[in-house]
Amino acid sequence: MTRPVAIGSTLRTAAPSLAIVRGRRVDWAPLLLLLPTTISLGSVSVYPILDGFWLSLHNTTLSTREDRFVGWLNYRLLATDPDFWGAWRHTLEFTAISTLAETAIGLGMALLLVERFTGRGLVRAAMLIPWAMPTVVTSKMFGWLFDGQNGLVNWAFRSLHLIGGNIDWYGSPNTALGTIIFADVWKTTPFMALLLLAGLQTIPYSLQEAARIDGAGAWQTFWHVRLPMLVPILLIAAMFRALDAFRIFDLVYVLTGGGPADSTEVLSTLTYKTLFSALEFGYGSALSTAMFATEVLIAFCFGILIVRGMRRQGR
Amino acid sequence: MAELLPKPRPGRRAFLGGVALGSVAAFTGSHGARGASRTEIAFASAKFFGKETVAQVVEMYNASQSRVHVTYVELPPPSASTEVHQLLVQQLARQSGSPDVFTQDVIWIAEFAGAGWALPLDQEFGADVRKQYFPGVVQACTWGGKLTALPWFIDSGMLYYRTDLLGNEAVPETWDELVSLAQAAEKSGHARFGFLWQGKQAEVLVCDLVEFVGSNNGAILGPDGKTVMIDDDKSVQAVQFMRDTINRYKISPQDVLSWDEEPSRRPFTGGQAMFLRNWSYVYTIAQDPKVSSVVGKVGVAPLPHFPGGRSAACLGGYQYGVNASTKNREAAIDFVRWMSSPATQLHFATELGLAPTRPDVFDDPKLAQSQPFMQKLKPVFLGATPRPVTPKYAQVTLVLQSSVSRALADGNVKQALAGAKDRIAAIVAS
Repeated sequence: MTRPVAIGSTLRTAAPSLAIVRGRRVDWAPLLLLLPTTISLGSVSVYPILDGFWLSLHNTTLSTREDRFVGWLNYRLLATDPDFWGAWRHTLEFTAISTLAETAIGLGMALLLVERFTGRGLVRAAMLIPWAMPTVVTSKMFGWLFDGQNGLVNWAFRSLHLIGGNIDWYGSPNTALGTIIFADVWKTTPFMALLLLAGLQTIPYSLQEAARIDGAGAWQTFWHVRLPMLVPILLIAAMFRALDAFRIFDLVYVLTGGGPADSTEVLSTLTYKTLFSALEFGYGSALSTAMFATEVLIAFCFGILIVRGMRRQGR
Repeated sequence: MAELLPKPRPGRRAFLGGVALGSVAAFTGSHGARGASRTEIAFASAKFFGKETVAQVVEMYNASQSRVHVTYVELPPPSASTEVHQLLVQQLARQSGSPDVFTQDVIWIAEFAGAGWALPLDQEFGADVRKQYFPGVVQACTWGGKLTALPWFIDSGMLYYRTDLLGNEAVPETWDELVSLAQAAEKSGHARFGFLWQGKQAEVLVCDLVEFVGSNNGAILGPDGKTVMIDDDKSVQAVQFMRDTINRYKISPQDVLSWDEEPSRRPFTGGQAMFLRNWSYVYTIAQDPKVSSVVGKVGVAPLPHFPGGRSAACLGGYQYGVNASTKNREAAIDFVRWMSSPATQLHFATELGLAPTRPDVFDDPKLAQSQPFMQKLKPVFLGATPRPVTPKYAQVTLVLQSSVSRALADGNVKQALAGAKDRIAAIVAS
C-alpha cells in the first residue's frame, strides 16, 4: 500500500511536472517484484487466518455433519463458556509470569556473560543447552524431577526439612501450573539471555568508561547508562517471548493434559481438544480466533511501549 | 438430521479428503486389480500385531474363499487413537463407500451410527447370534436399538492383587473388603500403597469412573442416551468413594490424581502396592523378571462392588463396522462374519493376543494352552460395561474428565457432578 505512494512522492520532487507523473502509465515492475512475497505470505498466513475466521462463523462438526452458517453464535457461546475463560486466564497467567521471570533472569545472565572471563565461550555455549533440548524431552525430565513419589525435588526439599511429606506437584491444582511455569523458565531463559547479550554488546564500551570516569559506580552505570540503552531490545525480546509463551502447548500436553480440575488447561490445549478430539471445527476455530485476537492485543501493547521507548531515545 | 444438511462447501471437504488420502495409502487404490470374478472390498483398521499382523489374517480370508478379495489399509496404532478417529471420520464423511469395512474403538460406535455412516446389521445378525457375545460388548455395539457394529476383541479394567500379601484372605468382592485389606497391608508395612488407580484428567479417568459408578448400580447416561444420571445419589456416592480412598481411608496416594496407566503400574510391578486397577497388558509386564519384582505373585479378579451392586469393568477394544455407503454389501457382510467367527477370534487370540468377544472361545483348550492368563479373564469380561453410549461421546468425555477431576481435587463432589449433569444434558440434547 505504502509503496506506490512512496514512488509517487519521490517522483513528485524529482519530476518537473505533476501532470507527466499522472499521465504516465503505472510502473508495473516494482509491483511485479512484490508479487511473489504477497502471494506466498497471503497463502500461508493471511488466507488461513481469514478462512479460520470464516469457519468460526459456522457450526461445522465433522462427526454430526452439521455445517451451517450461524453468524456470531460461536462467539456468544464463547463469552459465557467457563472453560474458555478459565483457559484464557491460565494462559495469560502463564505468559505474564514466565515472560517476566525469563526476562529478569535472562538479563542477569546476559550481564554476567558480557563480561570478560576465562572460559566465557564455554559457559555461553553450555548456557544454550536447555533451550536446544526438545520440549518433549524437557517435559519428561521435569515430570520425573517433580514426581510426587520419587522426584528429586521432593527428596531435596525433604532433606532440607522444608516440607514434611511429599508434595504431589502435578496432582494438585495449587502447584501444577506453577511447576509448569518453572519448567518453562528453565528451558527458555537462555534464549532471552542470548537476545539480551546481543543487545548489550551493541552498547559502546566508551559510554561505560565515560560514566566510570565521571565517578559512577557499577549500579549507577547499569541503571542510568546500560539499561536505558537496552530497553528497546529488552521490549522486543519480551514481546517475542510473550507471544511464544501464549501458545504454550507441549509442556502442558505431556505433563498434565490440562488437569487436575482444569487448573493447567490453556488455550492451545483446549483448542486442540475441541478441534481434534471432539472434531468441532466451528467452535474450535472461534477459540483459535479469540486466541489470535488476544495475541494481537499483546503485540499491540508491546508495540506502543517499543515505539515510546524509541521516541524517548530520539531514534 | 439429513434435511438439516446445507450444501457442502466443496473446497474444504475436498481438501480434508485430500489430506486423508495422502496420509493413508489410497483406500481405493487396488480395486479391480485382481481377477474380475472376485468382489473387491477395502478394510481399514488400526494397527495391531503380535506373532502375526492383521494383514496376515486378512490374507487368510482371501485364501479361504474365491468370491471376495479384501485389500487391507493399515491405519496408525491404537495409541494414536485421535489420529485413527480423524482419518476414519474424514473417510466416512465422504460417503464414497470406501473403506467398505473398518474397525472402530467402542467409544466411536454411537458417533458413527448416529451420523448414519454405519450399516445396521440386525438382519444378518439376529438375536440368536448376538447372544453368542459378551452382553456388555453387544450393548456397546448397539445404537438406537440397532446393532451397528460387530464385536472383534475386548479389553477391560480389572483388579490386580498380590497373592503373597493376600495370604489366606479371600479376594475382595466389595470395596469395603478391599479398603480393610489395603489398610491392613499398609499398616503391617507389607505394602507402601494399598490401592492404585488412575485419576489423571484424561480418558482413563472416565474408565475408572464407569467402574466405580457401575459397581454401585449407577450410570452416567441412561439407556436412552439422553437421561443424565451422573449426579444421582449412587454416582455421587461412588465418586465420593474415589476421593475417600485418598483422603479418608488413605489407601491411595494423592499422586493417583496425576497418574494414568503407566505411572500407576510401576509401583505395583515394583512390589510397592497391594491392589491395582488396570487393563490386561499389565499381566505380561508383571511376569517379566527383567522389569518386575512380583513375578508369580500376581492374581487377577473382577473389580469389587458396593453393597447390592455388581462388579463393573470398563469396556475397551475395537469392533467391526460396515460402511453404510458400501457398494459391496454382500461381500462386506461375508468378510465381517468370517472375521468375527469363533475360529478367527481364536486365531486373533493365540496369534495377536487380542481377547475374544465370544465367551465360548474362552473354553477352547487351544486358548488355555497358548494364552493361559487370557483364558482366566472370562469372568472379568462378563462384567464389561460400556462407557456412555452417545454420538456426542467425544464432547461428553471432556466434560466428565474436567468435572470429576475437580470433584476429586476439591471434594465438592455433589456440586461438581451437578455441574457436569447440566453441561452433558445440553450436549446430548442438541
